[in-house]
Amino acid sequence: MEAPDDDRLLHQRVVGGEEAALGEAYDRFSALIFGLAARVTRDRVVAEDITQEVFLIFWERPLAYDPGRGSLRAWLATIAHRRAVDHVRSEERRRVSVLGPRLFEPEPARLEERVLAADEAQRVRQAVTRLPGALREVVELAYYGGRSYRQVGQELGVPEGTAKSRIRLALRRLAEELTEEEG
Amino acid sequence: MDPVERLYLDALTAEPAEPGRSLRPQLLAGARARRRPAERTAPWAEPFAGRVAAMDALLAAAVDDDWHRVIVEGWTLQELVAHLAAKDGLLAHAVGAPVLGPPLGVLDAAGRTAQVQEHERARSPEQTRRDWRAQADALCRHLATLDPAAPVRVDGLEAPLGDQVLARSLETWVHADDAARTARLALPHPVPEHIHPTADLCARLLPWTLAVSGLDGSGHVLELTLTGPGGGRWQVPLGLGDPPGTDADVSISADVVEFCFLLGGRGSAESLPARLGGDTELARQVLRSAPALSGP
Repeated sequence: MEAPDDDRLLHQRVVGGEEAALGEAYDRFSALIFGLAARVTRDRVVAEDITQEVFLIFWERPLAYDPGRGSLRAWLATIAHRRAVDHVRSEERRRVSVLGPRLFEPEPARLEERVLAADEAQRVRQAVTRLPGALREVVELAYYGGRSYRQVGQELGVPEGTAKSRIRLALRRLAEELTEEEG
Repeated sequence: MDPVERLYLDALTAEPAEPGRSLRPQLLAGARARRRPAERTAPWAEPFAGRVAAMDALLAAAVDDDWHRVIVEGWTLQELVAHLAAKDGLLAHAVGAPVLGPPLGVLDAAGRTAQVQEHERARSPEQTRRDWRAQADALCRHLATLDPAAPVRVDGLEAPLGDQVLARSLETWVHADDAARTARLALPHPVPEHIHPTADLCARLLPWTLAVSGLDGSGHVLELTLTGPGGGRWQVPLGLGDPPGTDADVSISADVVEFCFLLGGRGSAESLPARLGGDTELARQVLRSAPALSGP
């Protein structure tokens, strides 16, 4: 899946060292990135640090992002997620370490690492099956079936706006369930 | 991206939240410290400042092995950066901007390149990179007050300052692309506003590339259509000193970036996807001679 044209242009401007383009990237994506980091870490201060770091990485190493491989939003979200999970894990380790020494240091996370391990992906799929029928249906069509909002609406015989709001509701439910288990 | 991963990330970002207001200014201040933005300069010199910033972003990602890998002309990445510094230095010298590196002994591109490369081989790649960038940024600042129409002589060639700077921009672009290919990185194109003046220079160079190839295009007018962001349409009189013409008898249509790279010595007339019209034999000669002015 290729990035949209406005991602490409923003990327071109950041590679060319245009500071204003970094500000625009922040304006477009900071609420999403901060929302993700806050949900995973449940800590506003940490989530702000992660948000700042994600945009700094985009500025400092803009060639690490390749628009041929996906959207800027997904790339930024992947890095934010990795950082947020690392934070949660290191907090957990700190709590555990009061009880005794750790035997193994975990591998340092890399940028290009996959978002989800196999068992985590399985948990996401299971969470989808537990959604109420009407919500599960839209998620399966939109994500597993690759349909657009409009196509989802057509197949279910509901207006596009209804399909869209059902997907949004489904995503919120999923987020609640998944982050509750993580915590 | 895997659909389950996309679903998961979309779920986690389904509820956007506003970070504190101070975060934006903090970010922008922090960004300057982590990577220098493109140097401020006159609008006509911005394509050069932009390519310098892009090349520097590429160099920032280079690790030890990358610096010693051969990129082009048998040069390592460090030697390539020294070559760019050498040629930037010749322009800097011509306009009275600071020149870094060894004292200027020779004023031709090949001689100065050899001199700067020799000097830089004894230093670390980071030092080479730092001086190349500092000299280029100082040149950009110096250009801000100059007249782009003033004639300047560099490496034996007299041309308006604006064109000399665009030529530096094209060369920095082409070499950044060489380095990115070796590193298997996708270097994005410059923004369309920077591509357009570069393409304009390339179009105006065509009578010269024909002439140095021993061909005479006098009396012929080329309609050049360059497609893609930053492209456009030009009526190019093909004889040196021909008046501006509008009655084109030959036409070429090609991608704007591939055309600029052909002038920059990359790709070939035979492999360039182009639509030719009118006097197609002349059109082929124009394309075959297009790289004639590209040095190393």
